[in-house]
Amino acid sequence: MISAIKMHLQGIKTGLAVRMAYRADFIISAFIMLISEFFGPLLTYLIYNNEASLPGWSMYEVLLIQGVFLLSKGISFPFFFGIVWNTLDRVQNGTFDLLLIKPRSVLQMVIVTGFDSEDLGKLIGGLALTGIALYRLPRPGLSEWVAFIGLFVISLVVMFGFALILAGLGIVWIGNYRVYEIFSSIANFGMYPASIFSKSLQTVITSVIPVAMLGFIPASALLGKPYENTLYAVIISFMFLFASLLFWNTTLKKYTSSGG
Amino acid sequence: MIIKVENLTKIYKTYERGNTFREAVYSLFVRKPKYVEALKGISFNIEKGELLGFLGPNGAGKSTTLKVLTGILFPTDGKVDIMGYIPWKNRKKYVAHIGAVFGQKSQLLWDIPPIDAFYLNKAIYSIPDKSFKKTMDYMVDLLDVGDLIKKPTRLLSLGERMKFEFIMAMLHNPEIVFLDEPTIGLDVIAKDRIREFILQMNKEGVTFILTTHDLDDVERLAKRVIVINHGQTVFDNSIDALKNHLGDKKVLSVSTHSPLPSLEMPGILVKNKISEYNVELELDVAKLELNKFIDYINKSSTINDLSVQSLPIEDVMKDLYS
Repeated sequence: MISAIKMHLQGIKTGLAVRMAYRADFIISAFIMLISEFFGPLLTYLIYNNEASLPGWSMYEVLLIQGVFLLSKGISFPFFFGIVWNTLDRVQNGTFDLLLIKPRSVLQMVIVTGFDSEDLGKLIGGLALTGIALYRLPRPGLSEWVAFIGLFVISLVVMFGFALILAGLGIVWIGNYRVYEIFSSIANFGMYPASIFSKSLQTVITSVIPVAMLGFIPASALLGKPYENTLYAVIISFMFLFASLLFWNTTLKKYTSSGG
Repeated sequence: MIIKVENLTKIYKTYERGNTFREAVYSLFVRKPKYVEALKGISFNIEKGELLGFLGPNGAGKSTTLKVLTGILFPTDGKVDIMGYIPWKNRKKYVAHIGAVFGQKSQLLWDIPPIDAFYLNKAIYSIPDKSFKKTMDYMVDLLDVGDLIKKPTRLLSLGERMKFEFIMAMLHNPEIVFLDEPTIGLDVIAKDRIREFILQMNKEGVTFILTTHDLDDVERLAKRVIVINHGQTVFDNSIDALKNHLGDKKVLSVSTHSPLPSLEMPGILVKNKISEYNVELELDVAKLELNKFIDYINKSSTINDLSVQSLPIEDVMKDLYS
């Protein structure tokens, strides 16, 4: 366990050193990463400033959901979502084999070598947006904070599940960089209040692919108006993780039996 | 016995795509599976401390064998026992004892100095500080790269990079090291240095399995050679036996003072008759001894100049690869 932590820390240090080699590029990339994530909050701002609204939700409540969504991405993208691009690149150029000759699980190796420091911009953006929204909203109590932290951790579980599925697809569909578009088109449902969607869509985003967990569900708990099917979504989130682990292992087995 | 391979078989399933537009569109919907037998039951043993050349033409099954032996690939059938491990079953434990250098795949990190990549490997292999420093210093010294270790990898020459690839692969003191084209693209001086390093480490007890197309590497390094072709072993013996595979033959270049006598006799194969006085030929010394040949020529034509060389190893390889 300690050696695994040491290895991950060294991976982060190395990842940072690699990106710092080109300072200007690092700063500009991190900034662009941040800007590209602000499209959703900007849209919210425009809606509310044109006398429209999402029924039942104030502007800052919606911005909080989007802040939490960005925060979830801000932690998962630098620290483990990089496995998607890392796997895609390595399978395509043949260096995935190099991970298999290391005395660690392949999953650990793709995480360690896939630290993506540019995405730390998302983390800063998420912290800022959540902070601004919370400043304008009534202060949550202790129980809201506890529920929020628990659910936020589960949002990371869902993110990890997504990363595993996309990385697994990267092994099967060699060089298909479109996999990320699949993720973003599905995940973006998580940055709006579920109640604005039809009942059937609500069922999909909580009970089939639990993207509501990525922003909406933890933010609702923090706002003191928890979503009615939260417990159900928590169970589905763990099932989602389990299924994605199974998928990753299946694709990995396919790789080791076919040689890539 | 450090490596035992028995009847190793690998069958790949691929799909036929077709080359015309019609076939390509058709293959989007219906794919015809095709089975390729990459390894057809190869067997060999390797002793601890050996330096083995593992050769074969492109597509012979070398990479597949190497991938199975390094735990990357599952075989279809057969047994492999390396230091008591089955590579693809006990992969994590097993690979801690092996190293690999791939001439065409770098384990270093392009934008940062080799030493940073070494520290990452230290964490991955959980190498204790003391042993890490000792091994690194020793190898850095042996390869004379002390002043380059903090230079970004992208600024290093190919030869310098390859030296660091070796250090990277051996920091955890592996007992077996697999080398795949380790001298590809290197100049003669860099090649020499790498070869000296391999020989030194081999002297210290490391077992090497060397895959290469560079026959100079094989002649300079390997004591034993396995040649595979079409997924089967076609040769497994010492390097001297390989050289004599086509019989004990010599390549001769002869020039004389007066016109050469008739060379149509058993054991002589004229390769190039340059003039009446000058010829290049292949002599099978089992059929005609060298001193008898020299006597025969000298008597009739008086030798002016003579060079005798062993049959180039390339000729043996061409024969084994065909």
